[in-house]
Amino acid sequence: MRPGPVGRLSRFLVGCHPRRWRERYGEEMLDVLDQHQASTRTVVNLAASALSTHADPAYRTEGLSPSRLRRAALISAAITAPIVLVFGSLLGYAAWQDRWHLSGAGGVSAMAFAPGQRLLVSAVGGVGEDSMETVWDITDPARPRQLSAFQGGQPTALSPDGRIVATVSYGGQPVLWNMANPRRSAKIAVMPAFDGNVLCGEAFSPDGQILATAYTDQIFLWDVASPARPRLLRTLAAPVTPVIQPPPPFSPQDITFSPDGSILASVTGTDQVTVWNVTDPARAARIATLTGPRDFVQAITFSPRGNLLAVVTYHGTVLVFSLADPARPARTATISGIMADALYPDGLLQHPDAPPCPSCGPANYAVAFAPDGRTLTVVVARQEGNVTSAYSTAARDTVFTWNVTSSGALSGVTTATRNGEDSQPTLAPDGRTVADGSPTSNAVYLWTPP
Amino acid sequence: MSMHGKFDGLGRFADPSLLIMTSLANGPKHGYAIMTDVAAFSGIRMEPGTLYGALSRLERRGWVRPLAAAERRRPYEITAAGQEVLAEQVTTMQQIVQVARLRTAMAWGA
Repeated sequence: MRPGPVGRLSRFLVGCHPRRWRERYGEEMLDVLDQHQASTRTVVNLAASALSTHADPAYRTEGLSPSRLRRAALISAAITAPIVLVFGSLLGYAAWQDRWHLSGAGGVSAMAFAPGQRLLVSAVGGVGEDSMETVWDITDPARPRQLSAFQGGQPTALSPDGRIVATVSYGGQPVLWNMANPRRSAKIAVMPAFDGNVLCGEAFSPDGQILATAYTDQIFLWDVASPARPRLLRTLAAPVTPVIQPPPPFSPQDITFSPDGSILASVTGTDQVTVWNVTDPARAARIATLTGPRDFVQAITFSPRGNLLAVVTYHGTVLVFSLADPARPARTATISGIMADALYPDGLLQHPDAPPCPSCGPANYAVAFAPDGRTLTVVVARQEGNVTSAYSTAARDTVFTWNVTSSGALSGVTTATRNGEDSQPTLAPDGRTVADGSPTSNAVYLWTPP
Repeated sequence: MSMHGKFDGLGRFADPSLLIMTSLANGPKHGYAIMTDVAAFSGIRMEPGTLYGALSRLERRGWVRPLAAAERRRPYEITAAGQEVLAEQVTTMQQIVQVARLRTAMAWGA
């Protein structure tokens, strides 16, 4: 019977033993191999035996001829090649895995959903190009699937068709990424930064043609119909109110277009909301300014019909304005004191560090109307520890849901809570699914209140 | 159940020299016969490299002796010195087995 490749390799390795060894045992070993079912183990065993007998003073022969050197090199290669292959592939796989599991990079710092798309982009790491984005397919919210990862700033907005993600780079520059193929995201444009201005938010118009970038006292409207060549259409000077100390925390939901794209609402002066007519973006103009209880505005959202605007403030006041006539906005609902029902982890009413330090934020917020406009959901996330030192990651989400009347009044609140390890909630376009980012890894938790 | 079961991994703890001498204790055998015999009584599959490495060491110590080869097959037999060493080894192992049995029985509360 003709030996197979393993059998032939075994016979070759018998020939790799020192000459004196072969003269003594070679024939016997070949005879054993004729009867033995050779396996990979046999090959490794014979290679090791060849090497050790070469090292054995009893068989080591004097001098190193070129043929002996060649043979020694072949034996070493035969032994090391499989090891290098196996470990190389393992290392490569680990490096590939590392793209997804950035253990040292901190937790999820920002998230953005694509309206109407089953895509979510999350970022780990700080502001700037050193943060890593992960693109998720959330078709099955119970099992988000990672599509790709790329490095480049915090995501703040996804275009409605899910093809472009706008991020904030290290220098405060808006950066556009092509996500037409979510598995291979590519940078398509870097827009200029504006000195002395902090980029606080970005929003795409519903048709995806306009990108609004909000700074502390200015808003820029960009034509992004050709995303590789963004064109500045209009600069809006937002009224600046005296800066209140301490400065408000970054709020991800502070600029948004109405569903028909005719109105832009933005947080201005930290405690107001300005409504702009952007029917013709190149001639956009202020229509009205909405004021609340002189509290930092944290999140704003339009109702699906665009006639209502909901506002949540830092210390837990929920406001609804009717924009049926945008020039004469009317407040239709004011709910304050929801913080009394939004507890800290372990059901604590008071921050465990009380008296609270100035940098301890009362909470983080997300707000959204249901697609039918009949309910309004506000998520309040309270974190146990000092937000800046983050010695504790325990947090509790409290989800408030009100019925919304056609006139914009709120009634019949229901609440749901979830304890987790995350502090920055984001609401999915369905207005119900809450996304929480892990504070220690790039994991994203999606859950729906009962 | 196959003898090459979950304890096959114990092969690395078993001394090939001891296995070979045990195999040769009841009469001379050639290389492949030692391998099959060892597998039969211990379940340990010895590879040719290990077998001949151990045989060469045993030969040099004078505990095993090669006999005249019949064609390519050369039988080996255990020497008187080898038998002595084997007997010593077995005595030591019997002591170990006895202690191990006692201690595991105590640990199991038997």
